[in-house]
Amino acid sequence: MPDLKLLPRNVAAVRLGAQPFDVPVLVAGNPAASLLESGVGNCFPGLECDIRNLERRFFPFLAVDTDFGSLQVTSVDSAAVAAAQAQGGLNAVDAALYGAIATDIAAGEVWQIDGLAGDFGPLGMLDFALSDLGGGSSGPGRLPADAWTAVRLLKEGAVVTLRLAGPGGRSESLAAPRMRYLDANGALAKMFEVGELSQSLCSPWTHDFRDCGCYYWATNHPDIALPPQTGTTAADNSDLATVWLRADRNASPPPLATVDGGADELRYHGINRDWQLLNLVFESRERLAPYAESEFVATPFADLATLLTQMRYAAGVELALTQEYLAAAWSLRPAAAAPAPLRPDLRAAFSEVLRIAIGEMRHLRAINEVLRALSPAGAYVPALQVAAEIPLGPGVWRARATRALTPDVIAEFVDVEAPSTSVDSLYSRILATLVARDAPDEVTQAVRTIMAEGEDHWETFRNVQQWLGRHAPAAYLRATAPAAAALPAQVELQNRYAALLDLLHQGYAAGLPAGAATINAARSAMLDPDGIEGALDAVAAAGFLPVFGPFADLRFVELGRPPDAP
Amino acid sequence: MNSPGATRPPPHLQFASAVGNHLFVSAYSRLFDLPPGVKIDSTSGAAAELIESLSLPGPEDESLALTSRPNPQSVSLNISASCNLACSYCYAGQGGFGGRQTAAMRWETARAAVDRLLGCADPARPITIGFLGGEPFLNRPLLHRLVDYAAGLGAERHLDVRYSVTTNGTLLTEADRRLLRRHPFAVTVSLDGEEAAHDRNRPNKAGRGSWRRAMQGIGPLLREPGRAQVAARATVGRGNMKLSANLAALAGEGFAEIGFSPLRASPGGADAISGADWRDYVEALEEAAEVELSRLRAGLPIRLTNLAIALKHIHRGFASPYPCGAGGGYFSVAADGAWYACHRAVGEEAYRLGDNDGLDEAKRALFLGARHVDAQTECTSCWARYLCSGGCHQEVAARTPESCDFVREWLRFCLVAYCELRGNRMPSEGVVHA
Repeated sequence: MPDLKLLPRNVAAVRLGAQPFDVPVLVAGNPAASLLESGVGNCFPGLECDIRNLERRFFPFLAVDTDFGSLQVTSVDSAAVAAAQAQGGLNAVDAALYGAIATDIAAGEVWQIDGLAGDFGPLGMLDFALSDLGGGSSGPGRLPADAWTAVRLLKEGAVVTLRLAGPGGRSESLAAPRMRYLDANGALAKMFEVGELSQSLCSPWTHDFRDCGCYYWATNHPDIALPPQTGTTAADNSDLATVWLRADRNASPPPLATVDGGADELRYHGINRDWQLLNLVFESRERLAPYAESEFVATPFADLATLLTQMRYAAGVELALTQEYLAAAWSLRPAAAAPAPLRPDLRAAFSEVLRIAIGEMRHLRAINEVLRALSPAGAYVPALQVAAEIPLGPGVWRARATRALTPDVIAEFVDVEAPSTSVDSLYSRILATLVARDAPDEVTQAVRTIMAEGEDHWETFRNVQQWLGRHAPAAYLRATAPAAAALPAQVELQNRYAALLDLLHQGYAAGLPAGAATINAARSAMLDPDGIEGALDAVAAAGFLPVFGPFADLRFVELGRPPDAP
Repeated sequence: MNSPGATRPPPHLQFASAVGNHLFVSAYSRLFDLPPGVKIDSTSGAAAELIESLSLPGPEDESLALTSRPNPQSVSLNISASCNLACSYCYAGQGGFGGRQTAAMRWETARAAVDRLLGCADPARPITIGFLGGEPFLNRPLLHRLVDYAAGLGAERHLDVRYSVTTNGTLLTEADRRLLRRHPFAVTVSLDGEEAAHDRNRPNKAGRGSWRRAMQGIGPLLREPGRAQVAARATVGRGNMKLSANLAALAGEGFAEIGFSPLRASPGGADAISGADWRDYVEALEEAAEVELSRLRAGLPIRLTNLAIALKHIHRGFASPYPCGAGGGYFSVAADGAWYACHRAVGEEAYRLGDNDGLDEAKRALFLGARHVDAQTECTSCWARYLCSGGCHQEVAARTPESCDFVREWLRFCLVAYCELRGNRMPSEGVVHA
């Protein structure tokens, strides 16, 4: 059987011949590849946000609290009531009732909703008192199980009638269309106030993190953080991390976080008793004083056309960085075959560089979504041309290159990802333009996310620098020269990469949801042994760095820097 | 095992799925993808050498040739010697085991068995106490009292004590359901599928069907199971091969886990599956499994436990020289306090390996040695040997070439399904260069 390659398909086959360290074992917790949408909220509803709160504003001008069984009015949006009445959208009788409810609530009186009538979707038109709901729901003519479910079932836009019980046996009713909680783009409607959706989450002082089975709060704190700044000297502002959950709250200086654990940590009882002694952490540092966000100042671009041109180039930079990071990751020797002191460092470095490359791919997708949102109708074309040059700082550029992960290259990656010291960096200006043009929230948030993730990439490359800095480059690198275009493995990579770009182009062009299946197919093609990952392995196994492009296809041809790029 | 270079390779299976060609190596149940278009010529010396090397234990694997004698970790208690039903195929003869068990279990006997189990089991692992009969709920006071007793002891000693009960469901009261909800109970309800088929096989002593009463008993528990996990177990005789319909009927009643067992041998013998029936049976099972696979692709859970367990075993590489824990980690205690290797063998001297005072370790070693799959001559060259492990000890006598063909065909179906479900996604490490 000369050179027969068998790929393991089940866990037992992987286990054969693998280092004990490589053997897949079942462990509790989320895999490293978890995305936000695979978060704990899917297992423990109500952890990222308490979904009951989505229904708080199901009825115009009112906010309600629910414990499943009851619906209590907690506030009235009196300004909106006045505005609606002024515009003729609300009659004087209803407006007066809203006013009376607001006055009563301010005086500490209680207004409950004790009956609902309307279109309950699959259950049809119903009219019932909340006290009729018994916790179960089955059989013909069934009612919703509870008050919260009833509100969730109400059809958006259809008229719902509330029967309200107020102080002194007062009984009233109001009718209006059921509000929707998502806007037309699927984002949360603007009516929600900051903190409103998470206001009833697990919290240490209610101790529910202990009993709900998820330990959410206690496991979602930072393990380590920089100690609080206590003065102005260097000694007062240590750059060495401490244990955030340290049991000894009076230690000065706070204990260093070390590999072997370092300090004793608060346990559940301690957290429950002393949670108020734990410091808030912003930008990796514990804060003792109120945090002041540094003011954001940047110059917007002159017009929409300039913004779109700059964003297309930003997409090209993300693609260029993806290619550079992938080449760098595959310049590393396979961790499994490395000797013991090097192996864990190699494994970590490869995984983290790959993670950052995947982050850049997500940025590429995000920018394309933003481009689509901002482009005039029908004018959007996917941005998949790779940038010719990468910004190192204001006005400083370097040519895109295929390079191994040598110490010099790592240092440059650290620089590329360093938090911008310039208010006029590319993304700062893009963001400033979006803010100035009052772009939709989800668009500005997408750009903010890209900027925030840059900081994570910067920190990660500094870690990679530390891990690989312990070893000679010759010990950890297996390839340093780019593959020749005619190398068979490189030809295969080039073909597969072209096919991948084509899929992405189709998917982006179709948009969501129409393009979802194509985008997913592109994603699968990356991980497939017959796809990008397998082709990268083959080029690396031949002893060369993988090269992406160039292409003659105008959709993917290299993009030059716009003349006024910041 | 063959010596290197011999032309006859160790047991293995080459098969094709929609995603390519695959090699399943029997030892340690390892599954590989062959490169596109490649088939191995099993008669060549090189192939024998390759498969031989793939059959060796890995660094973490325990040898399959070992006969281990673990601590008992679970027992079933045959607490009732009678039953209110008169199912045609009952192996236990309605709890009397053909006159070998004549009286219900007494409290002292049951308590002694639990004391012994909790005393000798590995305290770090779950311990299971099962209730069988006859119909266990005919001895309701003992069942309730024993669960309270075991739960108390478990809490005191910080043990993870779990329970199981196999019942016909017809006698369940609200107090029984409260007990089942309050404790970690695996409740297996013997139901044969659609009402008509069920009633034909499982009449009460007056000859009337038991479906309706079973549903009255189990329905409230299905709707509100508490800590209980409720599954249906259907016996399939040659007269009731409509597995898909039976699966749908049981799922319609609210069961999330439904398993089928073919009737291989029965006291009367009339309805047992044999000869050419096996072909019909595997076709019916695969038809039911196809429905489950399309559900799975749509993101819905598998209800057919035969399929779910096979896929799990294939994924993890389940490989065992024994088909069950009989005489190893599992014993069944008869009403008189004797410990048998298996609940189906109550009263059979060869299976009696001890009592509440202790086990006859010498007899146990002989029992386990004789039932190791390597000792089953028909299994020597079978590729399914460590997944099937020779099948139920009690049914060895009913093993025929056709019944073994059924096992292989079903496992082959599951292997193909497994490969196709995983598509092109494979573990990224551990590539074997042969």
